Amino acid sequence: MSERLVTFPHMGEYWIAFETLVLELGATPLVPPRMTKHTLEVGARHSPEFVCVPFKYNLGNFIEALDAGASVIGQAGGGCRFGYYAEVQEAILRDLGYEFEMVNLTSSWSIGEFIADFKRIAPGVSTLRIARAFAIAYRKAKALEAIDDRVRKNVGFESEHGAHDRIVGRFHRELRAAGAFRDVARLEERTLAELAALPLDKPERPLRVGVVGELYVLMEPFANHSIERRLAEHGVEVHRFVTLTKLIEHGIRHRPHVRALLGEADPWVKYHLGADGTESVAMTWKLMQEGFDGMAHLKPFGCMPEVSAMSVLQRISREHTFPVLFVSYDAQTAETGIRTRIEAFADMLAMRVQGRTSA
Amino acid sequence: MRVGLPRALLYHKYHVLWTTFLEECGFTTVVSPPTNRRILERGVALAVDESCLPMKVLLGHIESLSGRCDAVFVPRQEAFERGEHLCVKFMGAYDIVRNTIPDLRLVTYDVNADHGVDERRSMIAMARSLGVPARVARRAYVLAEAAQHAHEVELARLQQSVADSPRSGDVRILVVGHSYNLADELIGAPILGYLRTLGAEVVTSDEVDKALARRTGASMSPTMKWRYNKELLGSVELYRDMVDGIVFVVTFPCGPDSLMAELCARRVTGIPMTTLVLDELAGEAGTRTRLESFVDILRERRRRAHLTVVGA
Repeated sequence: MSERLVTFPHMGEYWIAFETLVLELGATPLVPPRMTKHTLEVGARHSPEFVCVPFKYNLGNFIEALDAGASVIGQAGGGCRFGYYAEVQEAILRDLGYEFEMVNLTSSWSIGEFIADFKRIAPGVSTLRIARAFAIAYRKAKALEAIDDRVRKNVGFESEHGAHDRIVGRFHRELRAAGAFRDVARLEERTLAELAALPLDKPERPLRVGVVGELYVLMEPFANHSIERRLAEHGVEVHRFVTLTKLIEHGIRHRPHVRALLGEADPWVKYHLGADGTESVAMTWKLMQEGFDGMAHLKPFGCMPEVSAMSVLQRISREHTFPVLFVSYDAQTAETGIRTRIEAFADMLAMRVQGRTSA
Repeated sequence: MRVGLPRALLYHKYHVLWTTFLEECGFTTVVSPPTNRRILERGVALAVDESCLPMKVLLGHIESLSGRCDAVFVPRQEAFERGEHLCVKFMGAYDIVRNTIPDLRLVTYDVNADHGVDERRSMIAMARSLGVPARVARRAYVLAEAAQHAHEVELARLQQSVADSPRSGDVRILVVGHSYNLADELIGAPILGYLRTLGAEVVTSDEVDKALARRTGASMSPTMKWRYNKELLGSVELYRDMVDGIVFVVTFPCGPDSLMAELCARRVTGIPMTTLVLDELAGEAGTRTRLESFVDILRERRRRAHLTVVGA
């Protein structure tokens, strides 16, 4: 029998954590090829026409990974139709003639099923080893997020172009190789120190924009056409709050989390809107009150929870003259269009600030 | 007090429950007219562009009730049973309406089995908050629930009698779609009507035995979590051997339906299927042409099958 090669969908740079997880479970990972236009083309070709774009990207990742020899696919569920992806994707891939095993993680939020799913990825693995594998992968995800957060806030102001990317590139290589918790912690600390030492041309009060919306397009720069970076390049300090580890924490503590969000989204939302919808409203309202200059709201075309949130965000934006850039992504979204809209948005924010200070 | 009920979304499923309850509580109910062009146009204008067609229809109906009643009834429904969900638009409906038409007075009740919020308690609490005595509200619920149940049993019985009856010789078609689409004057009614004009016998997914359909749907697709999509999927399995073809009526851009239609196309074989995707721009001529050719195909298949049988 050929070797079991375990693959997973891409999402930002989280592949480093996913790869570690599979390795630590004692299985052999196969990182899907980097996202390209081909990924989306092949994914979209075999997907239902108006399923949301994350489905198409995931399917593209799976096809490319299966073509590269993968035999086990780990897919994760979510709060919305995402949770139903795995079953339909499996049917599509089987009809295409692929042979593989599909493990649908987090189809429910129960520890028992979670462990059973991991045992399907790596048969015979002990529960203790699962716990350790999960913990180190989780720690790596945390490190990725800490660095990412710092870069988002400062990369738009670097004095030497490319300085942040150089440090981050090395960080990713070393994080991939890091074996122990201690090493990850040290690496994170050192990288943060290196980033802090970079010279910046940053005004005392830079433009600040929060990015909210649907989790996948938020966290996959290829799918959102690097919107965070584009914003930063126009001299914006970018803030984002949705991360993979937060999603996991919120998934485990779902009820108190939703209750807290509804408190923050008051008086705009009385009931939970589903998936990340309530969070989009809560964060927009909160950041507006904190004096942010604007928000960017991202979603796949037709993403219902975020469409629900939009009706609220549009009202907040209207009644408080607070700029919100709404961006919808589908398989046809063009890079140029996004660039132009961001440029116009950033210019508008800058002019608003000028108008305020000169008045 | 006059309570307005928009003739949209779950009204088409629960109008008996809701009107009985509200009237037994002593309110006057006002129902918006069947969807017309004007209602749809207003809904399209009010809604976020990317909203699905049924949500646009809802907003149009709600606006049409403004000024005709003292409050509009917009329930919020997340899950009727644990671990099973409705489409998120039912979770968001109340807040969407509240933020889209801010000055309108709304009444609502919440159903969320995952958090132990059940229909009975919520509806009674809603009535209590409007000044209805507890005893009256409790009695109203009992009567409303019984009336709704009787209504559903009757629908399923009617449907079964159709399915059991010998075929009238011509083609029989199962139309699969959400009740709020099939029952809508502007969305589903023209399709059902036109199929009948073409001489086809029409069976719809809406009048199936719901509990049985959900169980059947769940066994066809174990991770399907949307209650109404389970019913639709189940109806396909329950009726597939009794009909000549299946028409899916999907409104743009419904994610659950698009995933479900995909799964059906892959798992249910041996029966012709077609999917009609409708949006507010859909022209009737295009839809009619497609229905005509679909019915032609089914007739031709029947004729050939018949020839084969005779020839053998």
